[in-house]
Amino acid sequence: MAPKAELSRAKRKHKGGEEPVKKRSRSESSDDNDSGSQSDSDVGDRHAKIVQLEKEVLESRKHYNNITTLISLAQGRDSEDDEVAVVAAVSLCRVFIRLLAAGSLTKKKGASEKEDTVVRWLRERLSEYRKVLTAMLREEQAALAATTLSMRLLKAEAQYLNGTGEYSFPGASFSEFVTGLMRPEVDDSVRAEFVEKFVDEYDDIRYYAFRTLREILSESSAAAMGEETVLNIFDFLTSIEGVPDASEELDFYIDPPTKKTHPLRTLSQHKKQAQEAWMALMRLGLNKPQKKKVLEIMATSIAPWFTKPELLMDFLTDCYNEGGSVSLLALSGVFFLIQERNLDYPLFYSKLYSLLDADLLHSKHRSRFFRLLDTFLASSHLPAVLVASFVKRLARLALNAPPSAIVAIVPWMYNVLKKHPLCTFMIHRVPRTPEEKAQIEAEGLADPFLPDETDPMETRAIESCLWEIVQLQSHYHPNVATIAKIISEQFTKQVYNLEDFLDHSYQSLIEAEMHKEVKKPPVVEFMIPKRIFTSAEPGSDEKNSLLVDLWDFSPQS
Amino acid sequence: MAGSQLKRLKASLREQGIIGPQQSKKQKRKQAEDLKGRNDKRLQRSAVLENIREQFNPFQFKTNARGPKFDVTTNKPASSGLAIKGRPGLSKAMGEQQRRETLLVEMERRNKVGGIIDRRFGEDDPNMTPEEKALQRFTLEKQRLHKKRSMFDLEDDDDAGVALTHFGKKLDLDGEPIVDDFDEDDLPSGDEDDSETERKRLKRQRWESVAEEAEERDNEEPERKKTKKEVMEEVIAKSKLHKYERQAAKEEDEELRAELDKDLSDVRNLLFSRWKPGQEDKNPNEKPLIPGLEKSALEKEYDVRLRQMIQDQRAKPAMRTKTEEEIAEKAAEKLKELEEKRLKRMRGEEVSDDEESDEDETKSKKKKKGKLADADHRMDDEEDDEFGLGAGIKKLRPTAAELGFDDEDDFEIDDDLVAGSDAELEFDSDDDMSSIASDDGALEGGDDDNDDDDFAKYLAEVDQKEQKDRISREADNMPTEKDSDGVPYTFSCPESFGELERTLRMIPESKYPTVVQRIRALYHPKLAASNKEKMANFSRALVKYIGYMSRGEPNYAVVETLIRHVHSLAKTYPIEIANEFREMLKEVSIGEDKTAPFNLDSGHLVLLTAVGTIFPTSDHFHQVVTPAMLVISRYLGQGVPTSLSHYATGAYLAILALQFQQLSKRYVPELINFCLDTMCALAPEKISSNPAFFHMLEPPAGCRIRKCQNKAPRRLNYKDTKGYTGPTGKTDPDIQKLSILNTTLSILKAAAETWSGKAAFTETFSPALPVISHLLSPSCRPHLPATLIASLTQTSSYLAHALKAAHLARRNLELHHHKPLAIKTAVPKFEDSFDPDKHYDPDRERAELAKLRAEHKREKKGAMRELRKDARFLARENLQRKKIVDEAYEKKYKRLVAEIQSTEGKASNDYDREREARRRSNKRRG
Repeated sequence: MAPKAELSRAKRKHKGGEEPVKKRSRSESSDDNDSGSQSDSDVGDRHAKIVQLEKEVLESRKHYNNITTLISLAQGRDSEDDEVAVVAAVSLCRVFIRLLAAGSLTKKKGASEKEDTVVRWLRERLSEYRKVLTAMLREEQAALAATTLSMRLLKAEAQYLNGTGEYSFPGASFSEFVTGLMRPEVDDSVRAEFVEKFVDEYDDIRYYAFRTLREILSESSAAAMGEETVLNIFDFLTSIEGVPDASEELDFYIDPPTKKTHPLRTLSQHKKQAQEAWMALMRLGLNKPQKKKVLEIMATSIAPWFTKPELLMDFLTDCYNEGGSVSLLALSGVFFLIQERNLDYPLFYSKLYSLLDADLLHSKHRSRFFRLLDTFLASSHLPAVLVASFVKRLARLALNAPPSAIVAIVPWMYNVLKKHPLCTFMIHRVPRTPEEKAQIEAEGLADPFLPDETDPMETRAIESCLWEIVQLQSHYHPNVATIAKIISEQFTKQVYNLEDFLDHSYQSLIEAEMHKEVKKPPVVEFMIPKRIFTSAEPGSDEKNSLLVDLWDFSPQS
Repeated sequence: MAGSQLKRLKASLREQGIIGPQQSKKQKRKQAEDLKGRNDKRLQRSAVLENIREQFNPFQFKTNARGPKFDVTTNKPASSGLAIKGRPGLSKAMGEQQRRETLLVEMERRNKVGGIIDRRFGEDDPNMTPEEKALQRFTLEKQRLHKKRSMFDLEDDDDAGVALTHFGKKLDLDGEPIVDDFDEDDLPSGDEDDSETERKRLKRQRWESVAEEAEERDNEEPERKKTKKEVMEEVIAKSKLHKYERQAAKEEDEELRAELDKDLSDVRNLLFSRWKPGQEDKNPNEKPLIPGLEKSALEKEYDVRLRQMIQDQRAKPAMRTKTEEEIAEKAAEKLKELEEKRLKRMRGEEVSDDEESDEDETKSKKKKKGKLADADHRMDDEEDDEFGLGAGIKKLRPTAAELGFDDEDDFEIDDDLVAGSDAELEFDSDDDMSSIASDDGALEGGDDDNDDDDFAKYLAEVDQKEQKDRISREADNMPTEKDSDGVPYTFSCPESFGELERTLRMIPESKYPTVVQRIRALYHPKLAASNKEKMANFSRALVKYIGYMSRGEPNYAVVETLIRHVHSLAKTYPIEIANEFREMLKEVSIGEDKTAPFNLDSGHLVLLTAVGTIFPTSDHFHQVVTPAMLVISRYLGQGVPTSLSHYATGAYLAILALQFQQLSKRYVPELINFCLDTMCALAPEKISSNPAFFHMLEPPAGCRIRKCQNKAPRRLNYKDTKGYTGPTGKTDPDIQKLSILNTTLSILKAAAETWSGKAAFTETFSPALPVISHLLSPSCRPHLPATLIASLTQTSSYLAHALKAAHLARRNLELHHHKPLAIKTAVPKFEDSFDPDKHYDPDRERAELAKLRAEHKREKKGAMRELRKDARFLARENLQRKKIVDEAYEKKYKRLVAEIQSTEGKASNDYDREREARRRSNKRRG
């Protein structure tokens, strides 16, 4: 404490000036309403005044009423000036932190009733201030400042509010803040800032953020919250990264509890909170694009949080069963569970086979799927019949596929055929008996493959041949044609690296052609055709080209 | 050699004649008299002695003590005695010397700052005489100054920096006193000397005048300092003046020389006339004439004669006129060759370059022969069958009738024709600039007509021929009366799209071919060197213009002719035209605009068509066709239908893609996909499920055919590709839909025809059947007109038939009747001429690495050895220095001790003496 004499002097000095100051500030704020705008010097005045008010509060309890003034300033309802509100909020923050540090907000045993009233009153003001800060989050300029202030206040509260020195996290005020942050009115950048500065930095903040989010998601129904809030929470969750590696490396914003067994100090508890938050979100039922997004980041940002990935089983299998691109995306998750967690997915290969539909080769997840497919069919212990079904089905699809897909399919087939020599009957089958040969000569041959069969074990693909790939050997694109030829060459290469063939598109193929300079003069058709657009004279023996036959080039009126 | 070292030494000395038996006095005197040889002998003697000394020093050479270890292992001749492997003494001395020069100097200079290095030339060289030194110094000085001369030095004769002195006085080379007699002014020895002295004299004057001026100025206003600008101005003015003076002097000289030259010819004439008296008789009048004038005339005549002689054509053996059969055979052969080459390219085999150039050669030859060949084109129809082409090819490929007789090539001007009108043509092209500039319709200029009468005639001829060709289909395309066309005869060559557009703006569309033809004739590359480039640019512009004009509503007969022009140009400028087409493809496919590949307009479509006709689409790979095909298939495969026009454009592209593959019969997956998708999209009812594996897209709204029983499909045209015009437009969307469906059916049928032999024909076309049957189903049938239903059933039955045939023709795949692969051998490989010093590492990289490593090791060792030697040297030097210092110290110490001792001794002596003296005196006293 400062020496008494000094204090009293200060008191005396301010006693006279107190009332007028207050009054002036009030009157000025009302002035603001009238004038609407004010000069810079005026703003400076107000800042000075705020500082003045703050000083007074800290000097003596008698000036506690200034807090109300400051709060009303910070609310900024009556003044249009954001800056003033921010300055007021900042000074309020300082005030409350000092008060908290001084223990003015803690109830002491044996305190008089009057003091209790003061404490209660101050606590009310504090919560009012918190509301103000939460409201400030919605304003673009003030939002970042409000975030910082809230967090600083939070720290002070945690340190001093209960007064016992034991660890306590002001959960209520934090959840209030987070809820406010998730509101649709709050800008995305504010949340991003919060994640970057606090959530990713401090593990305890993340821990409680997850907990709060889970509470938000589980307490109220999604409908009450509104679509946008859910979306915000979704984005917020996806943006949280950096799973901690060990319990020792946790960073805390607020001094951590000393007890080693406290949930905050164990890694598994952190993960559990994240897991529960995610589960709460998934339980709400996501729509298709959201599902896609979740599945896309599943491996990188979600799965590491899960101590029990089995919990994802339902979600993943649901997605996998949905069909279309969602199942393509869910595939990797399901595979992970099968591989690591012993998930029993009945008829996995049948399901996989059913994914090979007309749209697969045109999908943008094509290369992702191929990487997985390559893994699934990598085992040499799979029945050849099953593998043959996949090969044949893909060959069928290749007949209608873009060149970039064919380019990936053929080397994959080569690898599979190399691994499953039984399947090579599909490219080389000599009739065994002369009778059989004669029969084929006489009656021709039907493809024994059953395209509509859903069970890959029953398609009879292994009895069929890969005529489709042979046809693609005369593909219009020279490189595709050359690649397709590898299945009729001798199989001398051990394996093709699939990665080299996966990521192509029309664009990349055209660009590859176009980036080459024309150095050698291109061959020009020697004969100049007599007709291009005009049709032949009726009497002559010339024949029209296809174009002229099918297209009308006569002048249109 | 036996005996001791001493004995051997004596023997060798004797052998060399250095010592010998004692000489008599007589001999000695004789030798002394022979003074001349004495010096020489002494030198020889010392050399011999040196040699002997070396021979007898056993440490001077490094040898293998016992000779090579295994004589048999080397194929070098067994060295006589011991081969010298190295001279350690010598190399050691050399190293020492080098160190002394570098390291020692460095060591001595260490911890020292500053110092003066004597850089005077030859200061320490005792071998130079003072004269030599002076001369060398002077030349060096000169050279240095010469090099330093700045580029912008105005006063370049300034040699104030160097001046020779003699006894401290300045030696002036220009000075009067030492001008040699033969250099006097009045007797110029030669042109150069003359000008030189003149110049020198002028310079002298200049110097004097400058000095005078300076003096004057000094006198007038000595205190005022000139500004820099003024000085500069003065300098510049002065230099200009000097320059002018020099020029004037030079001109004077020139005049003088010219006069002299004139006289010289006179003199020569006199001389020659004396030697050749015969000439006098022939030209008696020539001699007295003024020779200068006569000579020029003579020379001119001579030149003309010479040129005529050069141009005189030597008699050449004429080509034998070929019979018609021979010509036909030749043409057929040519065709066959071309076809073979095409097939080779189609299979993707390399067509060798010489063949290629050969082809070009023959092509150009062919052009010349074209006129001859045309008479016999009937023959070629029979020849065509030899190539093993089916009937389908024949109708699509132009028959040999057109070979070398393409009308666009007709006006490739014959050589003789050009030679005849060469001058006029050139004049004309010069003239046309002005005529165009003065008047757009150059036709009014009557002089034009007069000027190139021949050329006009030629053009008329060409035009008439053109007209004959076309007159049947285009009634009045090219009127014979050219004046009424309003098409000028001459143009400036348009070299960019803008210029071409400006040229063609005033001209009716139907006359474009005439214009292009005239431009091509006017700027034929054979007419001027620059025309080649001009035509190249023109052809690029033309390609662009075709795209541009097709965006409107062009007359396709005209577009066709223009494309044919481009085709003909492409034979000469393949790279330029190919680049222009690629430019278009690039613009469509690789741009910022992601929708560009799916917004093809009719200009693009026409250009893509042109690509298909100009370049061989059957090639395995082609710089233009392959990307064009990719652009087409991308549209077909990835385009998301937004309107009916999308389907129409797609239909056009599908036709194009199919036409591209008519010869090579390559499969285009996107085409089938597109056709089936289109049929499903246009079907009155949505098909219940995807009947096969083709990629179905959601059709845009209002696409389905509804209640069109009474409408008839027509052929599609370019208008259908240009956006949806709505019911107010002329095109009825319903009819458009029907037409698209109808066209798609035709495409499907044509595709089935084209790919009839394909391995997976069944898989490719069987999905079409359920789609067609869906269209014929009771839910769809009522909406379709009868004609369409008829064509549907027809297509369906055709496909069913084709599928049946394919079923019959199908066999199991037997792709791997390869020769079995040999097992890798593990037998070690033996080298016939194995060298143990060589490394036989099959891995090239590893071998190189090993080599590098060995070299590194060797170098490292060498460097370390050198460093050690350096250290040793330094230590030795230091020790030596220390020894010197110590010695000096010791000496000094001893000297001091001795000095002290001597002083001491002296003092003790003195003492003794004193004591003695005292004692004595004491005695005396006592």
